[in-house]
Parts: sequence; structure tokens; C-alpha cells
Amino acid sequence: MLSKQKVKKIAIILISLLILNSGFKVGVDTNSKMKAIFIMNFTKLIEWPKSYREGNFVVGVVGESPLYSELTKMAKTKKVSNQSLQIKKFNTTKDIAKCHILYVSKNKSQDISSVLKKVKSNSTLIITEQQGLVDKGAGINFIIKNNRQKFELNKKNVEKQKLKVSSNLEALAFTVK
Amino acid sequence: MNKRIYILLIVSILTSSVLGQFVGKDHLSVSLFYMQKAELDSAKKYIDLSITDENLNTTAKTWYYRGFIYKELYKKKEKNNKTSPFRIISIESFKKMLTLAGKDEFTESTFKILKYEASTLYNDAARMLDPQNYKTAITNYAIFRSTMLLINPGTDLKSRDVKFKLALASMLNRPAETQAGIDSAQAVQIKKLYLEILSMDPNNPGANYNLAILYYNEAADIINNMDYDMDIMKLNEVQDHCIEIFLEGLPYMKKSYELGYKRRETLIGLSNIYYGLNDSEKSEQYKKELEDLEKE
Repeated sequence: MLSKQKVKKIAIILISLLILNSGFKVGVDTNSKMKAIFIMNFTKLIEWPKSYREGNFVVGVVGESPLYSELTKMAKTKKVSNQSLQIKKFNTTKDIAKCHILYVSKNKSQDISSVLKKVKSNSTLIITEQQGLVDKGAGINFIIKNNRQKFELNKKNVEKQKLKVSSNLEALAFTVK
Repeated sequence: MNKRIYILLIVSILTSSVLGQFVGKDHLSVSLFYMQKAELDSAKKYIDLSITDENLNTTAKTWYYRGFIYKELYKKKEKNNKTSPFRIISIESFKKMLTLAGKDEFTESTFKILKYEASTLYNDAARMLDPQNYKTAITNYAIFRSTMLLINPGTDLKSRDVKFKLALASMLNRPAETQAGIDSAQAVQIKKLYLEILSMDPNNPGANYNLAILYYNEAADIINNMDYDMDIMKLNEVQDHCIEIFLEGLPYMKKSYELGYKRRETLIGLSNIYYGLNDSEKSEQYKKELEDLEKE
């Protein structure tokens, strides 16, 4: 039979294996990744005026959002047609500069009116993530339905910005106004 | 010349006296003779001949001594061989012995030896829980198990099974914590192990926690590897699939929470799973609880 010392050694081997627990995948923001893919799709299903089809394709993010770093990651490998993607962060609405898409983070939702004023003369697709904002000027609003990331579309608001909406985008929206 | 004759005579006498003592004796007796003299190789040779002998291979005694001799051979020659064939043959011989008439005389001693052999198998299984040898560990554990049940079919091995499977799953899951990661086939294998553990011990905290993480990581991996150019139709399909996976993992993480296991990590787990489920309210709720915990 085995000595007490050996038995102890075996127990240590088993226990040391037991205390090693698996960890979470780090660096995965599941929701931001979904939103980034949606945004990439919007760039294909919405048409910007000719003057916007040269130079960088600019996506701005107003306020704090984990989406900013996901979009930055996306910009490293993806293009919109021949345009390089450029991601800009605006801390306040005052900082907003010309961009193709403007994402208004949740913590800046209350500033939607000043955002609209800022982009009034531009062809900017405004994307929000707060219920009711498609009725207050946003073109697209991200919503959650049955745990799924979906989007609402206000075609009129998009067209006001001199943008053309593909019928495919309408078909894919959760609601169209 | 005379000298040569003397030598021949002496050799002839010695040979006939050694061989003479086996005249009329069966292979089993010869084997036992060598066994008593600790000449195990010769004992093995004759005991193996015994089991080919129709008159001997139906007696419990033959199989008992075969088991005994092979056990001695294991101890002497293969103690450090974790896949020792001698040990296996010994156990198989005892197993056969226990099916034969006349076994009672040897049963007590057999069980003692089998217990010893089972303990060596269990220890070897534990020692071999590494990425290179785990398959041998599984085999050794299975033989340990069947040997214990041979001794007593009513033996409760549940806690040992749980312990072994947990250790095995942890070892297999170790690459998941590193850059190397695990592939889907490995994840399936590890999940199966945790599910087996939970079927025996539903409140096992480690299995609940680790299984939840496996589900979370599976969905997170899928999302992480999604191409930004994926169309919305496909995106919706993948999203549905990932939500299903997050939902599968959720009850296990909730159980880990109920059990108070790894409080901090479990709170991170719940917050992450709810975040994956796009339930920011609940995700924040657990994040808040974590913050409160860390303030303590």
C-alpha cells in the first residue's frame, strides 16, 4: 500500500487541477460587435450624395460608448467602397464635425436637438440607442427585442439628410416610420 | 580422461535431481515451486502453461496464483509503468477466479490484492492528468472503477467519479485560459464531462461555474469571429444562435451564484452573460453587486 506521504502528494495533484478554473474570453464586447456589423451594413444600404463619396468615410461617436473602440477596430481592416473608414470621437455636441454617420451614445441622448442642429446642412445618418429617438429626428435607432439587437428606421428623417434608403434596409428594419 | 568422466557424472546427477523433482507434477505445482523461490519469470512461464491445461484452467486456484504471480511481477518490474500489462493480467486473472467454483478459499486474499491494485491505478490516473497522457489516465480510472466494483458491486464511487472528472475537465480546459484556446471539439468534450458531473452532483459549484463559462465563451467566440461584412440576414441568424447559447449557460451561472461559489467571478459571469443577452439592466445589477463586494 502507499505511504501517507504519497497519498498526500496524489491529493495535491488532484486539488491543484481542481482549483484551475477557466476564465472568460476577454476583450469581447458582444453588443458593440453586433452594432458595428449593423453599421457596416448601413453604409451599403444607404446612398450618400456624390460629394460624400470621396475622401474618408467618417463615422463619429458622440459621448462615451464602447462602440467607439469596436468601430476603431473595424476601421483597421474595412473600407466603405473605396473610402477608408475614419472614426472620430466627439465629447460634446459642440465638437461635432462633418461626418457620414453620427452615433449618439445613450448618455448624450438628451442632446438630440443640438445634434440635429449641428448636422442640419450635412448628409449625416444619425444613429441613436434610446427609445423614441426615431420620432425626434434620428434616422436609425438601435433597440433590443427578445434579447436581440434590432433597429428602427425613420425613412423620412434619413431622407431629410439627403440620403437614399435601399428597400432592402426597410425590409430588414424592425419598424419603419 | 577420468576427470572428464567425473564431471559428466556430477552434471548428470545434478540435472536429474532438479528435473526429477518435477516428474509427475503439473504446471501449477511447478509454478508454485518457483514462486516460493521468488523466481518469478519461471513461475510465470508455468502458470501461463497451466491456463492452457484443461484440467487446471477451470480451477480457482490456478487463476488465483496467476493473479498473485502477475501482481508480484508488477511490483518487481513494472511499478513505474503506468500502463503495466502485468497489473492488467493480474486483475483479469482474479476476475476469472471469482467466477469459478472453489473461489471462496481465495476471495479474501484476492480482494486485498485487488484493492491494492485499484489504488495504484487510481494514483496513476491522477498522475497522468496532463495533456499528453490524459487518455491513459481515463483508461486507468476506468479499470480502477471496474476493479472496485468487482470487489463490491455496491461501492459508491460517485464522489471519486466527480473528483476525477472535475480534475480531467479542468486540465483539458486549461488552454482556454491562454492564447492557445480550445477548439470546438475540445469544448464539446469538456462540456460533456461537466454535464456528467452535474448529473451525479447537480450542486457541484465548480462544474456549474465552469460549464457556464464554456457556454459564454462559445457564444463570445462566435461573435468575436464574425466578419464586419456579414449581411443583416446572416447576422440575425448568428445572433439567434448566440442568444440560445447564452441562455443555455445562464442557469449554471445562476446556480453558482446560489451556491455562493467564487463570488467575484460569478458576479462577473452573470454580468457578462446578461450583457451578451442584451439585458443591460440585469448586467448592471450584477456589476453593481460586484462593486459593492469589492468595496467591502
